[in-house]
Amino acid sequence: MTENPYQPINGEIADIIDESPTIKTFVVVPEKPFGFKTGQFVELTLPGEGEAPFTPSSSPAQIDKMDITIMKAGRITGLLHECKTGQRVGIRGPYGNGYPIDDFASREVYIVGGGVGLAPIRSLFLTLVDRIKDFKSVTCRFGAKTPDDFIYKNTLFGAWQKINGVNMKLTVDNANGGWKGNVGVVTTILSADDVDIKNSVAVVCGPPIMMKFTTFKLLEFGFKPKDIYLSMEKNMSCGIGKCGHCMIGKYYVCKDGPVFTYEQIKQYPNIWD
Amino acid sequence: MKTVFVSELKPFLDAVAKQMELYVPKETGGHYVYRKYDPSAAEPPVLNNIRICATVKEFLFPMCELAAVFPDPAEPLQVKPFAVFGLKDCDLRSIEILDKVFQEEDFQDPLYIERRRNMFIISSDCWEPAKNCFCNMLDGRPFAEKGFDLNISKVRDGFIIEAGSQKGEYFIGEHSRLFNEVPQNLLSERDKNRARTQKQLEQNNAEFKLDRSIKEIVENSQDSEAFDVEAKGCVECQACTRICPTCHCFYLYDTKQQDYFTKMKMWDSCMRQAYAEIAGGENPRKVLGDRVKHRLMHKFVYFLDRYGIDMCVGCGRCIDTCAGGMDTRTLLKKLNEELKSKKEAKAAK
Repeated sequence: MTENPYQPINGEIADIIDESPTIKTFVVVPEKPFGFKTGQFVELTLPGEGEAPFTPSSSPAQIDKMDITIMKAGRITGLLHECKTGQRVGIRGPYGNGYPIDDFASREVYIVGGGVGLAPIRSLFLTLVDRIKDFKSVTCRFGAKTPDDFIYKNTLFGAWQKINGVNMKLTVDNANGGWKGNVGVVTTILSADDVDIKNSVAVVCGPPIMMKFTTFKLLEFGFKPKDIYLSMEKNMSCGIGKCGHCMIGKYYVCKDGPVFTYEQIKQYPNIWD
Repeated sequence: MKTVFVSELKPFLDAVAKQMELYVPKETGGHYVYRKYDPSAAEPPVLNNIRICATVKEFLFPMCELAAVFPDPAEPLQVKPFAVFGLKDCDLRSIEILDKVFQEEDFQDPLYIERRRNMFIISSDCWEPAKNCFCNMLDGRPFAEKGFDLNISKVRDGFIIEAGSQKGEYFIGEHSRLFNEVPQNLLSERDKNRARTQKQLEQNNAEFKLDRSIKEIVENSQDSEAFDVEAKGCVECQACTRICPTCHCFYLYDTKQQDYFTKMKMWDSCMRQAYAEIAGGENPRKVLGDRVKHRLMHKFVYFLDRYGIDMCVGCGRCIDTCAGGMDTRTLLKKLNEELKSKKEAKAAK
């Protein structure tokens, strides 16, 4: 009997954490353990309403529950933001390739993130930190619109900064309150001296415009297109490479991605739109 | 494989209909549609000379179907055996394409597989090409050599029936009293008929002759303005994708019933403006010309890269149906000419 790939497993929202004015993290408990690779995504169904793709932001080591950080951006995300704990949900997946962590071994990992793009990055970060000795270093450059817009503030401003082997810098587009850090888009805190480019991989996740200019900056620094890993956000619907909505050229983002090297997709039109 | 002869179609179709639900062509308004076969009907069954207007994908991948029920899953879909009569080689090739998508190993679609497994395929030779048929440009032919259970060829005073699978072979064996041996010379008559139709098809499309493979032409037309120009006639009705036997875009949507929820699977169209749009509003194919281009790229480049075959069978239904007068052949020819002049200009430098 062929398994039905359209069948969600049942789950429940066990907790909801306000991250920023537009972003919440939903702690979802599936009815049975649910494993995934960091960077893979799930289709989260709000029963009777619809489903949307999200990359869990928790560590894949945790399989009894997962964190899904969601920005209010459209119909489904708007409805999810109105949900209370105890809400029943459906989960399909995990889908896609995830980050090729093993290929990052003994190299410097240069992570550039922006806004809600820190959600997949948090999962990656926790995975890297778990085996930090395998990597030469982990260098993070994160940005948000304002200090309030940073998600995971507690750990971001605290514990993560102190991890041995991690170098982190933050920036905001517009400062307010007591922000003492850099002001400017994320590319203003990138420097060719941050890492040894020849022995580094870059991971970029954030809004399309940020990913575009970060990629161009990294190329300018001398990164090879094959060493720039991009988490592409497209309209993934079926999750299994059939329905066609998420195509970038010949690739199905849901199946061949969502993580692509710039080398793979640079020839295709409108990848940043 | 067994090859037999019948002088009339009716006893043969009656025998099929005794075993399973049978769909046959019916002529209406200058083209053919499917209807359920009724052995008691007064009018004799017809053999369609060209492809049926509706596509075979409707039997395998219906316009809208139930994909999942939750919280408690529904019983898996069960389909009774059914037969479709009057499919052409282009239809069989479209099944081959859909098979690649829905039966590929990593993610199989159980709905498609169940229907596919229970379909008995009775194809037939094209007697004459329709004016928009261009299967010859895609290595197709007006007759099938594989992909069928039984194939029918019209000849003098009757029909040659050829088995193409174990299922077909078994059917002939089981109903041997209905069939006769193929009279002498009729096989060569069949070959002559086939060659005549093939020749006519080639004549019809002579003006669209291309200098390179379609893949090479389309792949090198990424920057062409022809897509935007061509898109000017498009009224975004999406008929081309609905009537295409190989287009298989779909979307999943959720509904609430009394005490359970459903996930439905419904045809979608890459020609729709918001098709690729994401929640934040970004859309890689906002512009209509970009959607026309993506569709052509998918058919002739991307699908070929992934599965090793074109995602177009040259049935020409999209040309028949287009309210804006768009013709894939004209567009390909235009891109061919553009590439030719580009190459010539480069050589002259």
